[in-house]
Amino acid sequence: MAAQPRETVKLVSAEGFEFIVDYKAACVSNTIRNMLSSQGSFTETELGTINFPEISTPILEKICQYFYYKLRYQNSTARNIPEFKVAPEEALELLMASNFLDT
Amino acid sequence: MAGRGHGLGRGLGLKIEPFKHPITMDPNYADKTWKILEDAIHEIHNQNASGLSFEELYRNAYNMVLHKYGDRLYNGVAAALTRQLQAVAARVEAAQGESFLKELKARWDDHIKSTQMIRDILMYMDRTYVTQQHKTPVFQLGLDLWRDHVVHHPVIQQRMLSTLSDLIAKERAGEVIERSLIRATTQMLVDLGPSVYEADFERPFLAAAADFYAKEAQAFIASCDCPQYLRKAERRLSEEVDRVKLYLDASTEAKITAVVENELVREQMRALVEMEGSGLVAMLRGDRFDDLARMYALLRRVADGGLALMRQVMGDHVKETGRQLVNDPERQKDPISWVSRLLEERDKYEAVVARGLNDDKTFRNALNQAFEAFVNLSPRAPEYISLFIDDRLRKGLKGASDADVEAVLDKTMALFRYLQEKDVFEKYYKQHLAKRLLSGRTVSDDAERGMLVKLKTECGYQFTSKLESMFTDIRTSRDTLADFRSRLATKGTDLGLDLTVQVLTTGSWPTQGAAKCALPAEMERCCEEFRDYYLNAHSGRRLTWQLNMGTADLRAQFGSRRHELTVSTYQAVILLLFNEADSLSYKEISAATEIPTSDLKRSLQSLACAKGKNVLTKTPMSKEVDEGDAFAFNDKFSAKLFKIKIGTVSASKEGEAEKNETRHKVEEDRKPQIEAAIVRIMKSRKTLDHNAIITEVTRQLQPRFVPNPAVIKKRIESLIEREFLERDPNDRKTYRYLA
Repeated sequence: MAAQPRETVKLVSAEGFEFIVDYKAACVSNTIRNMLSSQGSFTETELGTINFPEISTPILEKICQYFYYKLRYQNSTARNIPEFKVAPEEALELLMASNFLDT
Repeated sequence: MAGRGHGLGRGLGLKIEPFKHPITMDPNYADKTWKILEDAIHEIHNQNASGLSFEELYRNAYNMVLHKYGDRLYNGVAAALTRQLQAVAARVEAAQGESFLKELKARWDDHIKSTQMIRDILMYMDRTYVTQQHKTPVFQLGLDLWRDHVVHHPVIQQRMLSTLSDLIAKERAGEVIERSLIRATTQMLVDLGPSVYEADFERPFLAAAADFYAKEAQAFIASCDCPQYLRKAERRLSEEVDRVKLYLDASTEAKITAVVENELVREQMRALVEMEGSGLVAMLRGDRFDDLARMYALLRRVADGGLALMRQVMGDHVKETGRQLVNDPERQKDPISWVSRLLEERDKYEAVVARGLNDDKTFRNALNQAFEAFVNLSPRAPEYISLFIDDRLRKGLKGASDADVEAVLDKTMALFRYLQEKDVFEKYYKQHLAKRLLSGRTVSDDAERGMLVKLKTECGYQFTSKLESMFTDIRTSRDTLADFRSRLATKGTDLGLDLTVQVLTTGSWPTQGAAKCALPAEMERCCEEFRDYYLNAHSGRRLTWQLNMGTADLRAQFGSRRHELTVSTYQAVILLLFNEADSLSYKEISAATEIPTSDLKRSLQSLACAKGKNVLTKTPMSKEVDEGDAFAFNDKFSAKLFKIKIGTVSASKEGEAEKNETRHKVEEDRKPQIEAAIVRIMKSRKTLDHNAIITEVTRQLQPRFVPNPAVIKKRIESLIEREFLERDPNDRKTYRYLA
């Protein structure tokens, strides 16, 4: 294991907005999890900061919301899980990001 | 419902195509991106990844795949890895001697680490391109390339194998070696895939082991005795198992043990088991439980016939020693020691099986078979066993605790189980029991009954019912006699002597024909008295006197000495004659007593010829009694004891004539049993051919005796004569039951 598990991770959007999320939440994305746990010392592992030059701020925000949404409900057995609302104009970009992040 | 008639639906595997960028691409885009990635891969390979951005590399790889450059990327990676690994191979090849394995291990560790990193940044390609194109995932690709370019590099491959073999050979020879490197190397081979491990290491390793142990087995067998060899083989086996645990793959354990078992045990097992002076036979002789256990444990590993061989050799040995024992002429003279010797033998092998052979049932069976085979070799075995029990129940009980007696009797029962002619045993047992009961020689009623219960559980009710009625007779006789005596007392009759009568049920006892003899008047009167009493009490019965089985106590005066003699009824009758005359010829005695010749001779013999008990003198002096002899009262008779018991010369062991007689009786008794069996079988089967009848009859009578086929044939013929059966007119070999 490369870095000791961090509490939080900083995600930076294309516009330079920083989102600080829990390590656990960030790991909902397989890509991010790999980035943080890969062998060797990539800059991401060392700094705990990941730049996403191709993801815009609103999309990254939506993604962070989804991380927590997923974390909250993935093992839930509750019947009425609220729908995760996505605005139609965001949908395409979000889809691309989710493909990129393997979420 | 949702999908019916429509092409779209969530359940129908809708695939979302990656979004296609509408902008036209820089034509050099792929080259540029690949350059970045290639440099990164190079850096990673040199363990110099810090400063690289995972996100950037991932994004670049992502975009390449997205823009249909997956092929390029994949092949590029493969080519880059190949180039690197060729360089690695050269470095490893350069490392000589001890450092070779170290270098190999270090390179391998690095390679694994870098391949993992490369896999991570190419994750997107693995996820989409590789699965769609059915290519080998990146990590596996790294392993495969390592296998092809490093492990299968001719020099490395050869050197790796020889280094490993050398190290293992050194360890087998007792040297200490660096195990962790071997462990790492074999682990590497396993990681490359089980087939790689098998082909590149395991197979040659096993072949070398087989070779090594074949030679070692030769050397051992030439230089060690069997126990030493076994110890060595055992140690080798455990060493190999340890070796597998320490630095080989677990899957090898079964294979290498198979090799060692084959070379050290299976190939040599016959030589081992039959080894002169130290093999199985010697172990059995010497009660070497540990060695036996070792041999057992090793031979058990040999699936095809290891234990079977051991069983066979043991069985043969037991049979052979048993046969010698049974036929030993010295022992045959003394039935008691004959049986005790057999019991010892059985104890010994019981211990062998329990302590040396893991209580193996198959061995116990083999043992039983061997015992059965040799015990029945002696036609007198049933008689001897009965005699042995007789002896135990007469005097063996004195001083011995109940538990001990039980134990001995239980063991004897085990011998009894081996007997094929159980009916013969029954016959003898009955005789011996009758003697014990009538002479009041049974020491413990409980022990007798215990024995009876054992026989009953062994052979069933039928076997013991007569024996049980014998006991009942003795008990009722006791009551009858007490009643008779009190009757006499009330009547005031004095018989002048003390009469004890035992009333026996005809048929339950092994009685010979009631031999008549002329009783002296006072005895005759007693008999009459009892007869009157008994027939009054039980009307419709018939009372015959079995004088040949009675005893009498006489008081006699020899000069000035008085003695009390315990003699048989016949002897008493003879002795009473000498109240009137000092000397009588054989003919006179015979005429006066009317005792049958053989009994008379025997009685006279024990009165006149037994040393220290010769209350009569015989002229001429000789051991045998002849019809021309004369007898005189021996005035000079003297003995230390006041009470003297004069036994009849009816030795415990049967004479030849008696033996034949018993034999004959047994044969006679068997006839109805065989006939009954035949009828039973035919009644249910209606028709049956000859051989089937023989088999069936033999099977049914097995628990009691093994009938002779010739005898069965005779019985069948007799049954045909009596129209129980008939021959099938079409097939002479088939019989039919006639209702």
